[in-house]
Amino acid sequence: MDVFHGLIQGFEIALSFQGLMFVFIGVVVGTVIGMIPGLGPITAIAVMIPITYGMDPAIALLLMAGVYYGAAYGGAAASILLNAPGTSEAVATTFDGYPLAKQGHAGKALALSAIGSFVGGTISIILLTFLAPTLAKVAVSFGPPEYFALMLLGLTAIASLSEGSTIKALISGTIGLMIATVGIDAQTGTARFTFGNAHLLEGIDFLVIALGLFALAEVASLIKNRKEKATNMHSVGSLKLTKAEAKEVAPTMGRQSLLGFLVGVLPGAGGTIASFMAYISEKKLSKNPEKFGKGAIRGVAAPESANNAASGGAFVPLLSLGIPGSGTTAVMLGALIVLGIQPGPLLMNDHPDVFWGVIASMYIGNILLLILNLPLIPYISRILLVPRQLLISLIIVFCIIGVYAVSFSTFDLYLLLGFGVLGYVMRVIKFPAAPMLLAFILGGMMEQAFRQSLTISNGSLSIFVTSPIAAGMLLVAFLAFLVPIIKSRKSKKNDPAENNKSA
Amino acid sequence: MFRTKNKKVSIALILIAIVYLILSFQLPSYAYVPVDSDLVPIGLGVILLLLSAMLFFTKDQEQKENEEHIPKKDLPIVLGVICFTILYIALLEIIGFIMTTMLFLFLCSLFLGYRKHVVNAAVSIVIPILIYLLFNDFLQVSLPTGILPF
Repeated sequence: MDVFHGLIQGFEIALSFQGLMFVFIGVVVGTVIGMIPGLGPITAIAVMIPITYGMDPAIALLLMAGVYYGAAYGGAAASILLNAPGTSEAVATTFDGYPLAKQGHAGKALALSAIGSFVGGTISIILLTFLAPTLAKVAVSFGPPEYFALMLLGLTAIASLSEGSTIKALISGTIGLMIATVGIDAQTGTARFTFGNAHLLEGIDFLVIALGLFALAEVASLIKNRKEKATNMHSVGSLKLTKAEAKEVAPTMGRQSLLGFLVGVLPGAGGTIASFMAYISEKKLSKNPEKFGKGAIRGVAAPESANNAASGGAFVPLLSLGIPGSGTTAVMLGALIVLGIQPGPLLMNDHPDVFWGVIASMYIGNILLLILNLPLIPYISRILLVPRQLLISLIIVFCIIGVYAVSFSTFDLYLLLGFGVLGYVMRVIKFPAAPMLLAFILGGMMEQAFRQSLTISNGSLSIFVTSPIAAGMLLVAFLAFLVPIIKSRKSKKNDPAENNKSA
Repeated sequence: MFRTKNKKVSIALILIAIVYLILSFQLPSYAYVPVDSDLVPIGLGVILLLLSAMLFFTKDQEQKENEEHIPKKDLPIVLGVICFTILYIALLEIIGFIMTTMLFLFLCSLFLGYRKHVVNAAVSIVIPILIYLLFNDFLQVSLPTGILPF
């Protein structure tokens, strides 16, 4: 099936009444969750997974696409209105978005953010449409050694590119891989680390880890700030942009979307890096950089376009190789598997309808986000006025339902609470949680690929070096281990400069 | 010698790695495969051991940055919420979803210092019923009914 035929089929499902309705629900729910401080796309998708149980996969996909885009936009709205970025992807948006809101132009900033997201999303989906099938064709020739090398590369890349200490990120990833070894071993049937507990035989459900490490852990920070009230929220005001303004931001959105897409395709580098790179590069390109940080419209358009383009780019490795490159796409992979879709190079050949369905849903989700959210945002933003005390109780309840509706066991709920505590402790001692989640999701696949490779070679590790593709990727993966050493050398030399940058 | 945070954390991680390694070596062996189920866990244990040792010798860089420590006075509240959650989980299947969730929402918000009792009660009553209807009737996922007949 060619590209256009597949897309048309996908759009037929997406544009049906039922399809549109579920994208709408997804966009609204995603925006609401994304606005809640600390909760981003990872939590939004994880909470929605039990809801998609038993749904028609094509419709469920539309719902998820809406949630995905909605959550990113919700985070941006909270950044602009409250200077409270929900997730790290939305931090760069506060630099100029909040000053604009302070000047009474919150509506303008929200419109810029929505249009920027739309442009970034559109450009990245078009590129994805053509790049993913090409990559999938290459990936069909990949054997277990190449897959193992690729996944290892993704993991070490996310560790060395995440902010803070690389060693801590690598440790976090290793522990994620260890958690993935719990349960019955698929090859030999040996029960590993189950301590005789029947609930652990099937391993730990990834929802328990995603909701525990991200949503529940955030509750503790919310408790700390529970008395904060959203009194300093600015009214939205007019959403309109002038013609001159539109002309000014158009090239920004175009080039930053391209940049964001390229960053998003790389394993490990996601929306956070893309949005910061976009902001910094746009400031450098600008004729009057002194305006940045004081409410420059390009300062809002750049990170928003890049961030959304990066989330589209992250779908390239996910759909064509079946390998997520970030925490968010890792949860998305979990959601797809629940729907019975196994992304990978064979998806396009075996189930072209599903493959193009995913892309068409992303496209429709992106368009509806723009059409619906602009007029609705003043109403949705009232979620920011919900008292924190109520919000905390509600988040706990939603996490518990999310896990219970999938596993029907209270054991998993205690486990969820345990991971919530672990997630909070990790925040206190500054260990990033995203590498752990990604490693946990990749863990099973990595171990399988590793052992298959060794079975092929009869136990000899040389199989990873004789394939040039695998050897090349492993080399790059091990280079990531050198980053912390270089980093610490550098910071010894110019400690004050480093501190200024991170402040 | 355990003065810095990195050193303390690294010692704890080394202990975890050792326990994990001991458990890995105890895994029963299976004769008919070239690569047995203990290979990957042993490898991971060794990697964690190495990384933790590296952490031990890494200087704490983030000490001056804003520490996300819970102030001492907030710790009882965090622990209190954890206790409420444990009670909620323990009673969920016995008393049933609707009743437990109502009680949890109301009491937990009250405990956190929410003082608008009418709003609190309204939210605590309406939300569990809505969620129950959504899951039970629309999504066909049955939540525990407990002592209530529906």
